Amino acid sequence: MKQSKAQSRRADLRRRLQGTRGRGRKLRGLLVLLRPYRWRVVAMLVALVAATAAQLAPPPLATLAIDDGIIPRDLATLNLVVGAFIVSALVLWGATYAETYLVGWVGQRVLQDLRVEIFSHLQRLSIGFYSRKRAGVLISRLTNDVDALDRLVSDGVETLVQSSLTLVGTAVILLVLDVKLALLTFIVFPLLLAGSLAFRIASADAYRLTRERIAWVTSYLQETLSGVRVVRAFGQERRHERRFAQLNEENRGANMRTVVLNAAYFPTVEFLSALMTVGILLYGGYQAIDGNVKVGVLVGFVAALNNFFNPIEQLSQLYTTYQSGMAALDKIFELLDEAPDLEDREGAVELGRIAGAIDFDDVSFTYRSGDDAVDALRDVSLNVPPGQSVALVGATGAGKSTLAKLVARFYDPTAGRVLVDGHDLREVTQDSLRSQMGIVPQEGFLFSGTIGENIAFGRPDASEEEVAAAARAVGADEFIAQLEEGYDTAVGERGVHLSAGQRQLVAFARALIADPRILVLDEATSTVDIHTEGRIEAGLRRLLAGRTAIVIAHRLSTIRNAGRIVVLEHGEIVEQGTHEELLAAEGRYWQLYRDWAEQAVA
Amino acid sequence: MRLFWRLLGFLRPYRRGVIASLVLAALAIGGTVALPWLTGRAIDQVRPGHHDRHALVLLGIALAVTGLLRLALTIARRLVAGRVSLSVEYDLRGLMYGHLQSLELAFFDGQQTGQLMSRATVDLQSVRFFLGYGLVFLVQSGLTILLGATAMFLLNPGLAALSLWPIPFVIVVAARYGRRGRPAQQEVQQRIAELTAEAEENISGVRVVKAFAREQRQLGRFRHSVRRVFDQSIYSTRIRAFYQPLVAFLPNLGLGAILFFGGREVIDGHLSVGDFAAFYAYLLMLISPMRTLGIFLGMSQRATASGARIFQILDRAPQMTVPANAPPLPPGEGRVQLREVTFTYDGANEPALHDIDLDVAAGTTLALVGATASGKTTLVSLIPRLYDVTKGQILIDGADVREIQLQSLRKEIALVTDEPFLFSASVHENIAYARADASREDVERAARRAQAHEFIAELPDGYDTVIGERGLSLSGGQRQRLAIARALLADPRILILDDATSSVDASTEQEIKEALREVMRGRTTFVIAHRLSTIALADEIVVLERGRVTARGEHDELAKTSPVYREIVEKGLPDQVFLTRKPMEAEAKQVAGL
Repeated sequence: MKQSKAQSRRADLRRRLQGTRGRGRKLRGLLVLLRPYRWRVVAMLVALVAATAAQLAPPPLATLAIDDGIIPRDLATLNLVVGAFIVSALVLWGATYAETYLVGWVGQRVLQDLRVEIFSHLQRLSIGFYSRKRAGVLISRLTNDVDALDRLVSDGVETLVQSSLTLVGTAVILLVLDVKLALLTFIVFPLLLAGSLAFRIASADAYRLTRERIAWVTSYLQETLSGVRVVRAFGQERRHERRFAQLNEENRGANMRTVVLNAAYFPTVEFLSALMTVGILLYGGYQAIDGNVKVGVLVGFVAALNNFFNPIEQLSQLYTTYQSGMAALDKIFELLDEAPDLEDREGAVELGRIAGAIDFDDVSFTYRSGDDAVDALRDVSLNVPPGQSVALVGATGAGKSTLAKLVARFYDPTAGRVLVDGHDLREVTQDSLRSQMGIVPQEGFLFSGTIGENIAFGRPDASEEEVAAAARAVGADEFIAQLEEGYDTAVGERGVHLSAGQRQLVAFARALIADPRILVLDEATSTVDIHTEGRIEAGLRRLLAGRTAIVIAHRLSTIRNAGRIVVLEHGEIVEQGTHEELLAAEGRYWQLYRDWAEQAVA
Repeated sequence: MRLFWRLLGFLRPYRRGVIASLVLAALAIGGTVALPWLTGRAIDQVRPGHHDRHALVLLGIALAVTGLLRLALTIARRLVAGRVSLSVEYDLRGLMYGHLQSLELAFFDGQQTGQLMSRATVDLQSVRFFLGYGLVFLVQSGLTILLGATAMFLLNPGLAALSLWPIPFVIVVAARYGRRGRPAQQEVQQRIAELTAEAEENISGVRVVKAFAREQRQLGRFRHSVRRVFDQSIYSTRIRAFYQPLVAFLPNLGLGAILFFGGREVIDGHLSVGDFAAFYAYLLMLISPMRTLGIFLGMSQRATASGARIFQILDRAPQMTVPANAPPLPPGEGRVQLREVTFTYDGANEPALHDIDLDVAAGTTLALVGATASGKTTLVSLIPRLYDVTKGQILIDGADVREIQLQSLRKEIALVTDEPFLFSASVHENIAYARADASREDVERAARRAQAHEFIAELPDGYDTVIGERGLSLSGGQRQRLAIARALLADPRILILDDATSSVDASTEQEIKEALREVMRGRTTFVIAHRLSTIALADEIVVLERGRVTARGEHDELAKTSPVYREIVEKGLPDQVFLTRKPMEAEAKQVAGL
């Protein structure tokens, strides 16, 4: 129930985001994201306004205290002003607390929604999409771009509202205190703004360079640590030290540029502020002597100057944050606009328990990447009865994996039909198809987590006994038992390193526990030690028993045991039959076999 | 505290810079403190009943000049301090890296790369920030507060006491914030890193996720990670929301006190309006140094903790030592002798090798066979002295490896492993790793001999293609051929092939075999292999079982006497077919199998 509510909320969000296409969509997109939290946003704005007002209060209160309390010797007024001062300080405390908390809460909530939205969108996209895009770019959408947006929503919004309000508020206060003196103060204003912007633009480049250089340093360090064995074995420590010193030096140089820029900018702002004080004191002082300006106004002016410089500095800083945040939003929307190309059709059928017959009916397939089009399969027709295992044989690029991918419906054929138990794959739901299909990729990809979790990946509700039984069936139990923590041993980046053969065995167990009707398997090419090799052969036999299987085969034993061998060449089936039949036919398979035999004895 | 002084030791080479920046800072602060006083005096010239235009102009000029002086002093101070801080960072990082390079391989076996990275980045960052900026800020803020407070006490001690009492509280609260806020924020970063890893894994494993129709479950896991980031962010926000407004509020009590008590004193005639204004301006001026002082005090505590962790590494002395004046490896043809060699890994209970005696004649090839974990890789790691033997000794051309220069030893030995590590540099640089000055012809020749030239030529930029860039990933076989080329170019006396042909397919192995046969000529070679075809290259075969030599001899002999060897002969045929070596572009396109 909760799940479906979250889902419908997400669907709603998605629909709204898509409705924002066109001009100004980035801002409208942000509004859509903020919509669910609108009351909090309103509260946040109220708190922001209150906090800013409280922050602006002290200088005019000081003016009041001097001109209406101290100089006329009016103690009652002075007490009143001090009371107002304390109240404004308390408001500042409370409002800043509320504002900080609410900005953080709303900002992080929006980012959370956006992350989940991007991720779930990525999951709906087809394998074809993933082959076109580089993984690094996709990850960057979820990390760098969301981070850029993070900076915009956490600091940007707050700064924008608060600094603008402070600036406008201070200007109004100064004008109310004394128009002429205020106008005199505003002269410096454009100068300061222009200077600040120029500084930000220059320092944005400089800071980008420092980030880049430190990233180089860090990745070089990382690499020489991971490759420490090679470094030691070839005795190349000196060279790495020299190179590292060079990168380190470049990093220092890049940082020195920011030091120079900062050394020029910040003291100059301080100096401008001092000059403005001088201007106010001299001009205002003469006015005061002539009785046109009261002393308290002068004190208030000098005190208010502080409120003038900070916002300008912060607003100029916002410029770069805004730019990178918006650019990130652009890229994120571009990704979210990517329409899933393999969605379940309207009225797609739930497949019941299938028998496992596979039919290729005049199937052709062309890969498209950009303007390139590569014909991978041409007019392939193939009927596989339930329970038969088919070994696909042929050179790299002959179309073996394409054929296997079409069975799993990672792609739809360009022409022709792929059928399972007589159902066109485009007419059935992907979930019901894949839940009855086991796929074992060549590299034996494992997720970080324990070995047990990886095996149970195919069926998360599997009990510990079932996991152990699956591992035993494919012969993975032996090496797992030797690990210190058995099935609870962590694998992947932060866990133990498994050999290629061991990963393969775990992948077998993972497929077996899902008890698929159809198995698509890409056999590993690398040899492992004899013992594991034997285990893999036995595990494979166990896995294939009683299932329809499409195997991209590399091992002679697998090929020999297959119910049928299909020889592919340049995207077409050139031969099929059993090992004996094909040898007797003395065709392409026979040639390949003969080549191998010659090598084996060499 | 000792640790603190030790950290300060990093500043020693830059004493003059440090002193200069302190002096400049002190002078600039003098200017800063003078400004409110001058402002107060100026206001006194215009108060009702007391006008002095001449003095006002003079004070205006004094203010402008003070501002200008402060400008010059601050610029100079920032440049000097910035240079010192960056130099300290440079030194620290270089020291750390150099030290890591000097440690023996066994040290790294006991460490997680992530942990070391965190020492060298996060901890180094907090130490350098403290030494570089923190100290300067601390001194500067402390001095500003001290001078400002002194000026206030000189003007009016009673009022000064009444308005300055919040200072210690601000400092304490800010220090607490400095201690708690940053780690909370770092934990947010940590959790974002976990989130990234989760996303990364799902994107690279997308085929498996789709294959098992597990999108919903993975989404659930991802949501959990996202939730963890959110929770920690809120925790961090709460800390900020608590401390920041409090720090902003406290000084207002002082300002209120100035208005209340100061106002009364002016009315009573004990204080001039100008002094009153100066008081007010002083307190405004001190607010930001108070905050800074507190935050940096908190930071210095963390920096000391980070420093302790860094020293832990820097104090770890390299355990593999070479005697001073050790001679280089004597000339020879590459005879390798192992005498009663026993080796136990750090922290292991059982030795990995027991009493191994081997005498490998120069120029011959020895094959090591045996099951996983029988000690083959350990044995070959001892030859280039990646580890030191626990007992016994290893001689190369008659010299104990522990008695000669490490560089000269390792220059003569090249190692190729089953999962070769390549650097993110160009193909050329990777092959020329051991000999950076090698010409393109040398590199190409080595590549041809390793059967790597053909696929390299088809890479986007040939030999200049940078590995790992633009999503280009090499297959296991291609990586191994590059590693073989790298070893060949080193032209070593001794060659070690640790499972070096395991992920090339049978027909490529066939071609490499030819190359291997040629490169083994005139070198002593150790081969660890599972394929009979590779084993057949050896002059002698040694069978290892649980760290002991159980059989040795030639092929025919062993096939009769050793059951382990017989198993290999029977099952170890190159059981792979039909990978007719074919279009490279296809190989590159099929990135991760299915």
